[in-house]
Amino acid sequence: MFEVRQTGDDRVLLVGKLDASQVQAARDVLGQLKKSCIVDFGELEYISSAGLGVLLGAQKRLGEAGASLKLVNMNRHIREIFRMAGFDHIFEIE
Amino acid sequence: MEKKYKRDFDELNSIYEATNRFLEEEKIGESVAWSINLAIEELFTNMVKYNTGAGHPILIRMSIKDGRLQIQMIDEDVDPFDPSEVPEIKLDEPIDERQIGGLGLHLVKSIVDKITYEYKNRQMKVTMIKELKR
Repeated sequence: MFEVRQTGDDRVLLVGKLDASQVQAARDVLGQLKKSCIVDFGELEYISSAGLGVLLGAQKRLGEAGASLKLVNMNRHIREIFRMAGFDHIFEIE
Repeated sequence: MEKKYKRDFDELNSIYEATNRFLEEEKIGESVAWSINLAIEELFTNMVKYNTGAGHPILIRMSIKDGRLQIQMIDEDVDPFDPSEVPEIKLDEPIDERQIGGLGLHLVKSIVDKITYEYKNRQMKVTMIKELKR
């Protein structure tokens, strides 16, 4: 199960497991963001390279407009995957 | 544990369930289980994405012996794949130059202690070893 909830004007909440089977659901929301946004990982249990790819695409696209994503509330496993992927240099993580 | 899965991303939940059940029975901790789920997903999705000509199911086999978790994934009637041809990703590259290709394999190599590929008679067998520190 995976879900993206818009929880505010500039905030989205990721819920569940973001794997290769759920990429389109993530892209439908993250790919449409037009301004800087906080992505809350508080209810995300799991992410794989497929999900990392969606986030990278969104960050690149927003970066061209001078905007960015800020990622918050990651569990320790997801934080470790971001570190392994070198994504801790690409995103602001809090 | 040994089971065949259709070449479909929708099989991932069944794979996680079987993997977690096996690892729980073997009293393997949640951190190891999390990373093993990821390693299996990355290889499974690569097999589904890149071995598109094959219609055969993918076999996943898991066992523990002498403190080592061994996971084998076997794909039938596929073209050879040489992982050494996948370029190493550069973790310090600026965002504009970062590509997602090769990232899954990089994560797998970071998670497991050993990964080997055998190709014979159009069968690809990938074996991952994870040393268990109990």
